[in-house]
Amino acid sequence: MRTLGRPVQYLALAAYLVFLAFPLLWLLSSALKPAAELAIGNTGLLPANPTLGNFAAAVERADLGTAAWNSARVAAGATLAVLLMALPAAYALARFRTRLKFVANGWVLISQVFPVILVVLPLFLILRQFRLTDSLWGLTLVHAVYALPFALWMLQGYIAAIPRDIEEAGAIDGAGRARILADIVAPLLVPGLVATAMFTLISSWNEFFFALVLIQDPDKVTLPLALSRFVSSEGQVQLGALAAGALLATVPSLLFFAAVQRRLTSGLISGAVKG
Amino acid sequence: MRRRAFLLLGLAGLAGCATSTVPPTPQTTGPTTLRFQSLSFQNPTVAATKRIVADWNAAHSDMTVRLTQGSFDSVHNQLVTQFMAGSAPDVIHDESADVLGFAGQGYIADLTPYLSPELRAAIPQGLWDTVTTDGQIVGVPIMMQSYVVFANPTLLEQAGVPVPTGSTLTWDALAAMARQASTDTAKGLGWGLRQPTATVMSLGMNFGGRFFTGTGDTAAVSIGDPELEAPRRIHDMAWGDGSLDRATLTQSGSDVLKGFLNGRYAMIVGGSFLAQQLTETAPPGFRWTVLPALAGTSAQQAANPQTLSVPVDSPAIAQSARFIEHFVQPANLAALTQAEWLIPSSVPARNAIAAATGGQNGWAATLAGAQNMVRPPFQSVTRYPLWKDQIATPALQRYLGNQIDLAGLRTQLTEGWQQVAR
Amino acid sequence: MVDAAQLGTGAVRRTGTGRPREGPRRRRGGGGDAWPLLLPALLPVALLSVWPLLQGLALGFTDSRAGRNVTTSFTGLDNYVALLDDSLFWSSFRIGLIWALSVTVLQFVAGLGLALLLNADLRLRWLTRTLALVPWAMPPVIIAIMWKLLLNPQYGIAGGVDWLGSFGTALPAVIVVGVWAGMPQTTITLLAGLQAIDSSLHEAAAVDGAGLWRRFWHVTLPGLRTVAVAITTLDFIWAFNSFGLVYVLTEGGPGGQTMLPMLFAYDEAFGAGNFGQAAAMGNVMVVLIVGFLLFYLRSQLRSER
Repeated sequence: MRTLGRPVQYLALAAYLVFLAFPLLWLLSSALKPAAELAIGNTGLLPANPTLGNFAAAVERADLGTAAWNSARVAAGATLAVLLMALPAAYALARFRTRLKFVANGWVLISQVFPVILVVLPLFLILRQFRLTDSLWGLTLVHAVYALPFALWMLQGYIAAIPRDIEEAGAIDGAGRARILADIVAPLLVPGLVATAMFTLISSWNEFFFALVLIQDPDKVTLPLALSRFVSSEGQVQLGALAAGALLATVPSLLFFAAVQRRLTSGLISGAVKG
Repeated sequence: MRRRAFLLLGLAGLAGCATSTVPPTPQTTGPTTLRFQSLSFQNPTVAATKRIVADWNAAHSDMTVRLTQGSFDSVHNQLVTQFMAGSAPDVIHDESADVLGFAGQGYIADLTPYLSPELRAAIPQGLWDTVTTDGQIVGVPIMMQSYVVFANPTLLEQAGVPVPTGSTLTWDALAAMARQASTDTAKGLGWGLRQPTATVMSLGMNFGGRFFTGTGDTAAVSIGDPELEAPRRIHDMAWGDGSLDRATLTQSGSDVLKGFLNGRYAMIVGGSFLAQQLTETAPPGFRWTVLPALAGTSAQQAANPQTLSVPVDSPAIAQSARFIEHFVQPANLAALTQAEWLIPSSVPARNAIAAATGGQNGWAATLAGAQNMVRPPFQSVTRYPLWKDQIATPALQRYLGNQIDLAGLRTQLTEGWQQVAR
Repeated sequence: MVDAAQLGTGAVRRTGTGRPREGPRRRRGGGGDAWPLLLPALLPVALLSVWPLLQGLALGFTDSRAGRNVTTSFTGLDNYVALLDDSLFWSSFRIGLIWALSVTVLQFVAGLGLALLLNADLRLRWLTRTLALVPWAMPPVIIAIMWKLLLNPQYGIAGGVDWLGSFGTALPAVIVVGVWAGMPQTTITLLAGLQAIDSSLHEAAAVDGAGLWRRFWHVTLPGLRTVAVAITTLDFIWAFNSFGLVYVLTEGGPGGQTMLPMLFAYDEAFGAGNFGQAAAMGNVMVVLIVGFLLFYLRSQLRSER
């Protein structure tokens, strides 16, 4: 790469930057343009009269507010359920030699191959038996179950990084398994638990397909669903409010990635990673 | 071995879920709450709906109605899953073509025993046909739109074209007027046919075009001369003498309307609801009117009204039917459809609107044309929506863009059906 | 549910910690102690993930459909025979293949280019790094809404052309959005792969007089091989099974030009109510994808020898 010439490299880099950043900038610009300016159309990237009115409009819309609240509840519930289920299971998989370890980790990859359409109909019928269709509780449970394999994979890694000696020491002191888990292992796992919780939270917040199929009551839709239905029948879209709403919906993900990105890439750039 | 066991277990589980005849849902007699999902989204219509519901709730504390807001785009898929789960609203707002499909699956209640004779008489039989299947009435039609010709009298008079009166306007007369009214600055006719299929199917009925024989799963497409008459005339007006502005053929109705307001066309054809935009956004001093209904061998158009229905699994069918009767009282229906700029189904409501508006803003001609709305043959064809989206629309777009000729259109429409039908 | 975000960070986590020492202790080697800990997780997964999948696979062999008084019966291979004749299904399958292959290949090329740039000693790397991650931070639905605004003929930069609504341009436009959405996962993975190539190999080749291109061909690409195969495989699977992005962008239109197989199956199930047929489509998709992947992976492994 070195002999390709600096200018060419910077040109290429600039092209990539434009490609990656421009759509988001456009979204931001649309969110800041007042309705009149949007109606004229094709007015360029910079808004002539920037306004925060669209954000206010998006927030005030009752349906978006309800949807955001629904998304938040489901995400919080799913995260809690995942932590409660994954912690003991990940401990078992990390510490014990069971065949299930291979199956569980393989399931993470295998489940990717099967299209969700196969799962969703029987899942719907099963949930119907428990009267959990068209219910945020049902969606929470589904989100938890489908986030679980990956959460297990993550937590296993974190638990495996904790030396067994610490637990041995606790066992010698006479503590039972539960106490070891709660008092010794859990505090050391806080970073791992936080990371897993954040993943599940974001995955649930952004999830679309299950919400699309399982939630029919307009009062119970989640935010991605509500935003995708923003356009009314004759195409009379409040584009500014839609852009603002879309931006606001992305905020949790963006914050999460802002927090995580340094860990993601700093390890790579400094070459601390082995292939 | 284990896999086969799983498979058999799965099938057994499935078999357990399906039952042969589901017993009817027991009906409640005491106080109950009815869920009503409305799809109207325009602010005045939403306000009118809320008022109608509030009036009902004030008078019927034992049968309160809870109003929720749905959307036309998602209502079909929503109902598919809600019917499966048994959680559909008690009063469903939908379109007649869609309701007929669900009725065929057994999900919609027969309202015949619950409808009052006054209501039966108030709505023309042609509209009742759009909600009748297997001898059962599965919904109450409430409002619909038709295709009308809007005209700019100023431009017509300047070209020496008399503004037609009378009950109908023939296609030949329309073509003649368009030809005569075309100048260097303004074309005689603009027509937003970006989505051409609904228009062609509906106006095709002007010439007796049926497009399909048979119903349900066994229907077959049939494209003959009557079916091709409407697209041919449109094509010839655009590519023959140029009296129809070709650019408008790929635009939407609202875009062509903007051109109409700017004086680019003497006449445009579009949905009757465009009168709302005309009334609200026309520059001061702009004159417009609605011409008499288009007619070929007849003035018939396809009726696909919005409807109110009750699911067969609702525990309160009688109560829901009573609410529907209240909803379509002439005063209520008139207020609702006026807010929505659509045509009410019942004759008393139409009269009420005529009286309230004095026939202004195109209401006179639009309401008069409503008597020509009848049930189209393609409403009960199972794979019509798929054929419409994937075969008819592209083929018509190509024909109107002069990329294929009339014979090619006939071939593509007919052979395309083989692809879609199973 | 496992999206690119999870995989990417998981990959870093994984490689960052190394294998735990399993030690010679056998005291807790048995599975007996593990079950009570595993049960709270296993039961819901079995009930709501594994069991529905098996049932779904079985559903493809029945005539299950919507209807109040419908009996579902086992119909064997009838659905599949019907699918053979269904030109719309094969059309959607072809579109799915074009989509998945285009997105995977373009993502790979673009991602490799960006990874090479990020690996080089350029300024403003922190900015590029952050921006490279932006698509990852946005849910697919929001990405679709954003690009819909961008490509709107009236309000966007499309220059009056309706990219998403015209026959010839809809699929290419959707592919561009797909590439945009998937850039981060490919770029970061390839970057990790590039980092893992021993720089002494590059130096040795340079000493031997190999130019830029030859070094790239003979040192970089072979070194990337495992990572490249892994990420292209995953990219392909994710792309082929993708639903939300294209659903919100075009709903499969115009006229079915962007009707991916998942969208088609969804319409079949929730639009037409033909559950058995939709499940059969899903089964066919799985079989064909697995077949394709086996073929691809086998050819990769073979050429490695």
